[in-house]
Amino acid sequence: MLEAIVQGVLLGGYYAVIAAGLSLMLGVVRFINLAHGDLAVLGAYLALAAIAFLGLPVWWAFALVLPVMAGIGWGLQRFLFARTLEGGFLLPLLATFGLGAVLQNGMQGIFGSETRSLANYMGNLSWAGWQLPFGLYVGVLPVLTFAAAVIVLGGLQVMLSFTKIGRAMRATSTDPEAAELQGVDARRVQRVATAIAFMLAGLAGMFLAMRAQVTPYAGPAQLIFAFQAVIIGGIGSLWGTLIGGIALGVAQSLGASISAQWFQLAGHFLFFVVLAIRMSSAGPTRERVLVWFDRIADALRLRTRGERKHAD
Amino acid sequence: MSKLVRNAGNGLTRRNLLKGAALGAAALSVPATVRSAFAQGDGTVRVGFIGPRSGPLGIFGEGDSFLVEQVGRHLADGIQSGDRRYGLQLVLGDTQSDPVRAAQVARDMINSENLDLVITSSTPETVNPVADACEAAGMPCLSTTAPWESFYFGRGARPGEPSPFRWTYHFCFGVGNFTRLYADQWSQVETNRRVGILAPNDADGNAIRMMLLPELEAAGFTIIDAGPYENGTTDFTQQINLFRSENCEIFNCFPFPPDFPVFWRQAAQRGYAQQVKVCQMAKAGLFAAELEALGPLGYGLHAGAYWHPLFPFTSSSTGLTCEMLAAAHEGVVGKQWNQQLGANASLLDATVAAIASASDPKDKTAMASALSMLKCDTAVGEIDFTSGPVANCATTGLVGVQWVKAESGPYEFDLNIVSNADHPFVPVTGQMTSYTVQG
Repeated sequence: MLEAIVQGVLLGGYYAVIAAGLSLMLGVVRFINLAHGDLAVLGAYLALAAIAFLGLPVWWAFALVLPVMAGIGWGLQRFLFARTLEGGFLLPLLATFGLGAVLQNGMQGIFGSETRSLANYMGNLSWAGWQLPFGLYVGVLPVLTFAAAVIVLGGLQVMLSFTKIGRAMRATSTDPEAAELQGVDARRVQRVATAIAFMLAGLAGMFLAMRAQVTPYAGPAQLIFAFQAVIIGGIGSLWGTLIGGIALGVAQSLGASISAQWFQLAGHFLFFVVLAIRMSSAGPTRERVLVWFDRIADALRLRTRGERKHAD
Repeated sequence: MSKLVRNAGNGLTRRNLLKGAALGAAALSVPATVRSAFAQGDGTVRVGFIGPRSGPLGIFGEGDSFLVEQVGRHLADGIQSGDRRYGLQLVLGDTQSDPVRAAQVARDMINSENLDLVITSSTPETVNPVADACEAAGMPCLSTTAPWESFYFGRGARPGEPSPFRWTYHFCFGVGNFTRLYADQWSQVETNRRVGILAPNDADGNAIRMMLLPELEAAGFTIIDAGPYENGTTDFTQQINLFRSENCEIFNCFPFPPDFPVFWRQAAQRGYAQQVKVCQMAKAGLFAAELEALGPLGYGLHAGAYWHPLFPFTSSSTGLTCEMLAAAHEGVVGKQWNQQLGANASLLDATVAAIASASDPKDKTAMASALSMLKCDTAVGEIDFTSGPVANCATTGLVGVQWVKAESGPYEFDLNIVSNADHPFVPVTGQMTSYTVQG
């Protein structure tokens, strides 16, 4: 029991990193990136390629992947996402859905369908562990992953709170037009946010490939976990995302201690319970459903600008 | 041709790629058709050789082009059958590790290549669809390297009823071999005889649950089955905790090969690997590349093997002893030998023997009848279709092996034969030791 909780918390660190990127794009660029899980897998494959083809040491490969992912994010936002955003709320969804399919098939074409793991290159770190009191065992790698997650989310929070670009991001997230009136280049801010989100996705993908393994089609499952962590933790808060990730990890881990097949089921169950509780706090049944849909739509900025003005 | 074969085994990047993927291999560029320098037409027996040569199972076909070259050299003067000599022409087909593709390749080759016989090997996902296509087309087919129960019962035969197959024949180990092997191998080191079983929710895992586990229990082991799980699982906390609390000193698994390193690393992380004395892999752990990916955590793992260079047999189709076969493969291909090299050599050995014993190798009925009565020596030992467990099947033996850190040489791992109860002709080459983390 205790062990399941500890493992779940550590697993939550990974979920928090992958969810933070999704949450950031949702908040600042205002669309759901359905290719987020595939981008995570892309990050893992880029690291594998850097090791296999460039012969780089593992940690150098990781260091190389992050700026490459940021560059891809910047470029895609500049030349693809920004254009689709002008076409209403559905177009970016479709574009990222298509991007996901392209990534999956592209990775299979280039790297083949075999499962691959970064753990093969990390020597003893991939399995080293500590024995703690109460018969508790924790792995070094999960602890490092969790620590990295906390540092990354903390750093991001500091950046959002205290730097100029961070303030510009929060302003753009609240109201892009008003932010532009104040001299913020909203398009540039969105590019920066996308670049950061892609970096987070790449980092999460490498964590996944270190802990376990990846295949070209592993992305959509990771997207679902990221989504659940975002919803459980609450949209728009980095620390909420961390809490959401931990809650998801603990639920899965406790579920798995009942039966191996309960691992995912328990996570989904928690997700629905949280959704139900949030709905019940919104008033009488019919109305609160409508309010909740409205809230989701609002949070996800699914309404176009014109509609929102009209409604206001 | 020799140039093509050398190309197939080139390069450092391919080796790195292999290390990266437990079972991975880039596509082998195999010559589509390999001819022995013998007459065409009626005097040549055309054999379709279908196997996985690219994709996740590609490593099974790693030695195929090398073998074909050796056979072409050794049988340059053809095969004597009755009072005639026949040339041998091998036509290679690649399943790309996909069962659907395997069936399609088999059908295409049967329709367009004017074949007299089809041979195939490596996993039920390859053998079963190819055999089904041959059975449907009335094409004689010989196969190996898939448990014979998967080949026989997995394609619709019923226990106790006559065999429904007329054209397809198979030789390999089966569940019975596992029972004999494990009972002996697990008794070589002192344990509490409590066995943790990790078997997924797939055809192999469920077959193991139904057929092997009761037999192991009857052999005096306490079986703790962690229950079915999905292939590709990334978190094994529940299974590890169960085995640890039940103090299973023997661990036996039948995973999808890439899942094994994930499990075993987590087991070491959580202190279970430190408790295990026998870690018996099946399905995983066939190839050195998988062990190299695990590094020092792989020293001392146990497995079963269907071929080893120290098998005291000679491959009649290549004219090489098992030891020479492995050495020649390492010299030509530039990679460590693997078990499938010997198994595929045995398939070619049996093919040559069947051609030699057929009353007319160009007649399909005569060829099928020769297969049904085939009894010959191969690189994996004697195979005998007249005394098989069921019609259409013959069994071969398994030896117990242990992967150890190589004392010298270019390769990281050596494979010791530690148990021969199921294959008494093969000498034991080392004393089995308990598993200890990092050897």
